[in-house]
Amino acid sequence: MADLQHELHPFTEAGELDDLAESLPDPFEEPYTPVTDPDGTPLERAHALLAAHPVADGYSGLPWALRHRPWYDLELGESAVDTDVPRLREGRVGALLWSLHLPEGLDGDRAVGATLEQLDLVKTVVRRHPEGLRLACTAGETTDARNCGRIAVLLGPAGAAALGDSLGILRSLSALGLRVLTLSGVSWAGEAGLTRFGEEILREMNRLGVVADLSGASEETIRRALALSRTPVVCTRSAARALRPHPANLPDDLLAELGAAKGLCMVPLTAEQTGTTVRDVADHLDRVRTLAGPQCVGLSGTFDAGTAHPQELGDASCYPNLIAELLQRDWSEPDLALLTWGNVQRVLRGADFTARAAQLRREPSTARITDLDG
Amino acid sequence: MTAVNSVGAARELLREFPVVDGHNDLPWALREQVRYDLDARDIATAQNAHLHTDIPRLRAGGVGAQYWSVYVRSDLPDPVPATLEQIDCVRQLLARYPRDLRPALTAADMEAARGEGRIASLMGAEGGHSIANSLGTLRALYALGVRYLTLTHNDNVAWADSATDKPGVGGLSAFGREVVREMNRLGMLVDLSHVAATTMRDALDTSAAPVIFSHSSARAICDHPRNIPDDVLERLPVNGGMAMVTFVPKFVLQAAVDWTAAADENMRAHGFHHLDTTPEAMKAHRAFEEREPRPVATVSTVADHLDHMREVAGIDHLGIGGDYDGTAFTPDGLDDVSGYPHLVAELLDRGWSRPDLAKLTWQNAVRVLGAAEDVARDLQTTRGPSNATIESLDG
Repeated sequence: MADLQHELHPFTEAGELDDLAESLPDPFEEPYTPVTDPDGTPLERAHALLAAHPVADGYSGLPWALRHRPWYDLELGESAVDTDVPRLREGRVGALLWSLHLPEGLDGDRAVGATLEQLDLVKTVVRRHPEGLRLACTAGETTDARNCGRIAVLLGPAGAAALGDSLGILRSLSALGLRVLTLSGVSWAGEAGLTRFGEEILREMNRLGVVADLSGASEETIRRALALSRTPVVCTRSAARALRPHPANLPDDLLAELGAAKGLCMVPLTAEQTGTTVRDVADHLDRVRTLAGPQCVGLSGTFDAGTAHPQELGDASCYPNLIAELLQRDWSEPDLALLTWGNVQRVLRGADFTARAAQLRREPSTARITDLDG
Repeated sequence: MTAVNSVGAARELLREFPVVDGHNDLPWALREQVRYDLDARDIATAQNAHLHTDIPRLRAGGVGAQYWSVYVRSDLPDPVPATLEQIDCVRQLLARYPRDLRPALTAADMEAARGEGRIASLMGAEGGHSIANSLGTLRALYALGVRYLTLTHNDNVAWADSATDKPGVGGLSAFGREVVREMNRLGMLVDLSHVAATTMRDALDTSAAPVIFSHSSARAICDHPRNIPDDVLERLPVNGGMAMVTFVPKFVLQAAVDWTAAADENMRAHGFHHLDTTPEAMKAHRAFEEREPRPVATVSTVADHLDHMREVAGIDHLGIGGDYDGTAFTPDGLDDVSGYPHLVAELLDRGWSRPDLAKLTWQNAVRVLGAAEDVARDLQTTRGPSNATIESLDG
């Protein structure tokens, strides 16, 4: 109970949560108790570390990959996809964001209905695998799932087109459990940045606790969102552009700005964005950690999203290989614990608190795109 | 004319067994009039100038539960986004007026609301177009709290025929039957208002759970396709479902049916859709009304329907679905949501007993929703969500 009261911080102003590191107790400020045997091999140590601090994975393409499969069993193992419960357990994954992104072509007129179908599919899949998976909407539920030995599944990111340019639809999707929304590919979050309506969407997302995902967003959108959002934003699939030119990778200055805003850059394990070896991925993680800070870097498997993966990181079971590599570099256990689990928890909890505070003082917005953007 | 003391007795009865109303279009009225600006239509205060519905009048009318319609027009290119906005509107109303409106998803919630003296608020989607041929979308609507789906509105959907459209698939298609089965599995009530008689019969053949008519009256009393034929009413006792009598004059009074046909013709002549309720359209309508006085339905007209429906379907299968804020005109004495006591008083004068009236106003509707929940619980032990598509079943 004391613990809960400590966490709730009822008198924190919404804006103060921007400085979460100062206002909330950092669990790793306490003398950190190592969980790995310093004399073990890197792989043994990686497993021990992940057992205590599992991976909260920022992006899984599983919903679309399963959509047209007549039959699948994630509990026993499903060779047709890169993600199933045995491999998630082997890879020590404790939480997963399940993407509701739609393939190109479907993100136009029918995007709202298609997103509802994706949401429904995720709920159906999770319900069918109650021993392995559990739907989680908040930071608390994510921790609960882990404490029950279940892998938490969070809904999102969805594409901005899923909103059909309507705040009412955003609220309905949030009511269905949507937690993350990618701000790109729509008139109000394009190359020129957020329009007035786009800003209103972001304010309403803050009010609802829907986290802004800026991977693939234009630089203008990213800068505006960093300035405007009352709670940290994430990039669910972004690495360092200095190491690998890819439109979704972030240049060094933006990584530094993201770090200053206590956002979270989740580095994808894809050949396209991070390179073809474990060392390549580790290089990206090193750079993001250096520029944004250890509190602002995370992992994003990006499995089942139709992209090639680095060697030894081919499916959801491979995370220990990556953590072993980082242990051989200068990553400390506390930093690794933040990378795998702590940072995602911080962002979700921040969004939960901001939403609760905002709902006390802000009514649901009824703005329309035609009113604000003309 | 009902005696004053009957109205008093009706009010007293409604205090114990308030009205469950099957259909109210307040969300659509708020969308059309003020684009969901709920400050502009604060229903905690009298809104007589704009709406049939506000909280003071719901209270005066003895309403204890309301299915709020999340209707959207069937001619929208994509009805799903608008349906989500309608649902959001209801959720906002519930968040704004928690002392008077209580979210309700189950029969137990309805009883809890009655115990608390709040108005149980449920949602119903009016028209199969709102699921866009997708069982996943149907389940998403259920997850958002929608507890009935009217299979069609005024136009056919690809899998079900409407009462007010040309015959299409001849009732329910194979996918239409799958929609009904999936609704049974979820515990979402199958609403047969607006559908063709062929669709009613197919749905009764298919449904494992009680069905409802959220706002329909008796075709034997007034021959309009929106009303229920006797052979369908006769099947309600076996099915366990209910018909919720509607007040809409152009469905319940033959003279009004004929007058409406002429009025619709007038609207079309002026270039409006016949259901248009914008001020300009209503102006054209009023001009017509000055030339051709509108036949007036009364409380007695509605009671005639109930008497007949009771004879055919039985007292356990009746309810009330006023369609307020979904209709331009209302019967005398049932002018807005405060009018229900007049109907109950009329029925008291006609000799309906208090236990019978309790079934009509409250008990039947609670029983039907609870029965649908029971069926769903059973079905869910043996069946998972359906992945059927309209392409796979209807070719």
